[in-house]
Amino acid sequence: MIKAEESAGSWVRDPKTGRVIAPKQQPGYYPGYSTLGQKAYWDAKTREVVEDRVYNIPPIRFFTEEEALTMEAVCNRIVPQDDRTPDRKIPIVPFIDERLFKNETDGYRFADMPSDRDAYRLGMRAIDETARTIHGVPFVDLDSLKQDFILKSLHDGKKLAANAIWEKMSIKRFWHLLVTDSVGVYYAHPWAWDEIGYGGPAYPRGYTRLEGGQPEPWEVDEQPYEWEAPPNSISDIYEPGPGAGSVSGQGATH
Amino acid sequence: MKTPVFGAFKRPHDDKTILGPMQRISVKDMHRFRESEAVDYCIVGVGSAGGVLCQRLAKSGFNVVGLEAGPFWDTERDWVSDEKGSHKLYWTDLRITGGKDPLAFGENNSGKGVGGGSVHWAAFAPRFHPSDFRVYTEDGVGADWPISYDDLKPYYELLEREIPVAGPAYFPWGDPHGYPYGPHPLGGIGDVLMKGCTKLGIPVVAGGPVAILSASRGDRPHCIYRGFCIQGCKVGAKASTLITHVPEALRCGAEIRDLSMAFRISMEDKKRVNGVFYYDQEGHEHFQRAKAVIVAGYAIETPRLLLNSACPGHERGLANSSDTVGRYLMAQAGNVVLGRFAELIRPYKAPPAHALTEHFYETDPGRGFARGFAIQTVAPLPIAFAKQMMKAKGAWGWGMRRVMMDYNHWATLGVLGEILPWADNRVQLADEKDQFGIPIANVTFSLHDNDKKMIEFGKKTVMEVMWAAGAEEVVQESRYAHLVGAARMGNDPSTSVVDKFGRTHDVSNLFVCDGSILPTQGSANPGLTIQSLAARTADYLISQGEKIFTSEERDMTAPPIRRNLAVEGAFIHGVPRVWN
Repeated sequence: MIKAEESAGSWVRDPKTGRVIAPKQQPGYYPGYSTLGQKAYWDAKTREVVEDRVYNIPPIRFFTEEEALTMEAVCNRIVPQDDRTPDRKIPIVPFIDERLFKNETDGYRFADMPSDRDAYRLGMRAIDETARTIHGVPFVDLDSLKQDFILKSLHDGKKLAANAIWEKMSIKRFWHLLVTDSVGVYYAHPWAWDEIGYGGPAYPRGYTRLEGGQPEPWEVDEQPYEWEAPPNSISDIYEPGPGAGSVSGQGATH
Repeated sequence: MKTPVFGAFKRPHDDKTILGPMQRISVKDMHRFRESEAVDYCIVGVGSAGGVLCQRLAKSGFNVVGLEAGPFWDTERDWVSDEKGSHKLYWTDLRITGGKDPLAFGENNSGKGVGGGSVHWAAFAPRFHPSDFRVYTEDGVGADWPISYDDLKPYYELLEREIPVAGPAYFPWGDPHGYPYGPHPLGGIGDVLMKGCTKLGIPVVAGGPVAILSASRGDRPHCIYRGFCIQGCKVGAKASTLITHVPEALRCGAEIRDLSMAFRISMEDKKRVNGVFYYDQEGHEHFQRAKAVIVAGYAIETPRLLLNSACPGHERGLANSSDTVGRYLMAQAGNVVLGRFAELIRPYKAPPAHALTEHFYETDPGRGFARGFAIQTVAPLPIAFAKQMMKAKGAWGWGMRRVMMDYNHWATLGVLGEILPWADNRVQLADEKDQFGIPIANVTFSLHDNDKKMIEFGKKTVMEVMWAAGAEEVVQESRYAHLVGAARMGNDPSTSVVDKFGRTHDVSNLFVCDGSILPTQGSANPGLTIQSLAARTADYLISQGEKIFTSEERDMTAPPIRRNLAVEGAFIHGVPRVWN
């Protein structure tokens, strides 16, 4: 839950007026669009898998209570959701926890990395130790801006502290693991599909309007608006990190 | 539930395995061989090559057992129209990846389950060029193949009709040819490729070549353009051996034993193999006796199995007297160039693979490197796109949320570039073991000078195409596509693993037939070539008959092509006859 005194600092703003834009049930440029509203047209198995994702949030079984709290704080900054109303925030940590609990991996491990499970335990320790070394408090007790600066150091591949832990794994690869897993959970959720105007499951119906970015009868037109990130953040910039592009990874191409 | 406005495919409700809404086969009726019974062929891996081999050999009357590590898919019940939910299609058992430029595996390039990688390929199905078969002779790099383009051409023509391939009536590169099924309509990304290439005067083709039906055939409906090719085609429009060759293989008496993980090929004596040891799903050990073994596990699992089969007389691994098993592993450069357009693209519609140019495929001395690359449409769904944005733009936090809100404005084009075969790019065994206790693969991969120059040039060219198409921002992510090599074919037993028919130089009744036998890889997606080589190996084995099981003799005469072994329906009305 957002503390009242923090809320103004954590909300996105209209860059023209400088006014805060109150959290919405559905941020993004496709108001009124709902992929779940189309579920009657999906095949049964897909409906089952997607609904399970929305309505059955797995319990925390891999992370310790302390690790889970740190992860929660970290994921809140990697995929900030302060522009979403509390009832429409997409849970991220439970699904990363489930993957690690079941030891589901992508099918490979870099030679300079420990297992994903060990990487997360080490990574949470390193992040927390960095907060304690620099600010004297746990990561979860830092304000958002200070949290962002620590995470930015991971993005930049810079060790601010916890050198002994970073000896054991590549900071760059851990950052990629963390961001990859976090966005992998967020953008698997139908509310995120609504936000970005993605068509979602499309079998057995298929698509009929392929060219020119035309919407299907059930899709909606884009209605973009300007927004700027909250002042308590530094992540609304694009700086390819070290070795960007040198790790290869996902399918979805040729 | 409401009835879909456009109607829907019926849900299955019988005991048959469903391969798409209209295609069903019964696994219950499948022939079962006893393990103690020596079958003619035990094929390890039922993917692109294994599926074709099972079908051809069974159709010719051989007793065939295919061992597949993954499950026999019931596509309507198992597969989903969802990116995250499709993880199980990929080979996700642990592999170690290292070297200066480590490869990613899993969803990137490795399939598991009947159909193998052909279940999740994007289905681009170009042929290799004639020059690909003599790279060493022409350019002094890489290797020559022990066969020529003309040896494979009849098989390309045959497989293009069997699976079949849709594309332009005239494809101008390599050995120019046309496709039996009409080209697909363009999506937003194909439009971008056409526009950019046209502006720059680069020839380009649209609507294929892809192994996706543009018209229904038999019990397979045509494409519905939903864009989930890589997540497994529930429609049954995209070709995979699961739906093209496996049904006929079963009808002809082949047994496909799923959830069977081979871990060692067994030797009768020092000269001949006599079967395959494997684990079932519960980890129980089994042994399938066979008169001959064909390894079709693809470029990581094939060398892993050969190395894990080391035994007295073959201490370095089976078929490895040349120390070539595992070496010359190749991946293609697969840099993705992403362009942001003012107008909407909606990149998730239409098959990701639907337009390409091979204008830069051949060596051009003026470029300063040997060989070349193709440019192809690619289409990441949201999760893949977010990961690309992390790498290409360094996006995270609010920046990630912002660029993702723009997802529908981005188009993506891929470099598909020829990385050359190098001895130090290889598969070895790690100390670590998998869930069965089998030593896992340790893969080393590094780019060499020619590869780096090609990638720089290729990525720059694709970025120019993207700008020319009108993009207002262009970024790129480095990655790789496909895996081949690691058990290459050649005439010289001291520098290659198998001969030109896929027979290992060291063991006369042990064959390798999959992407791992490719000496070089061109800038063409390897799927069609793998299947064509499998059909050719099958013809050879059929020609040799019982000799394979009894004799050490190596007859190097090329077999006649057996078009009558093509899957039923390959020559239906209206399919042009192009060969003499």
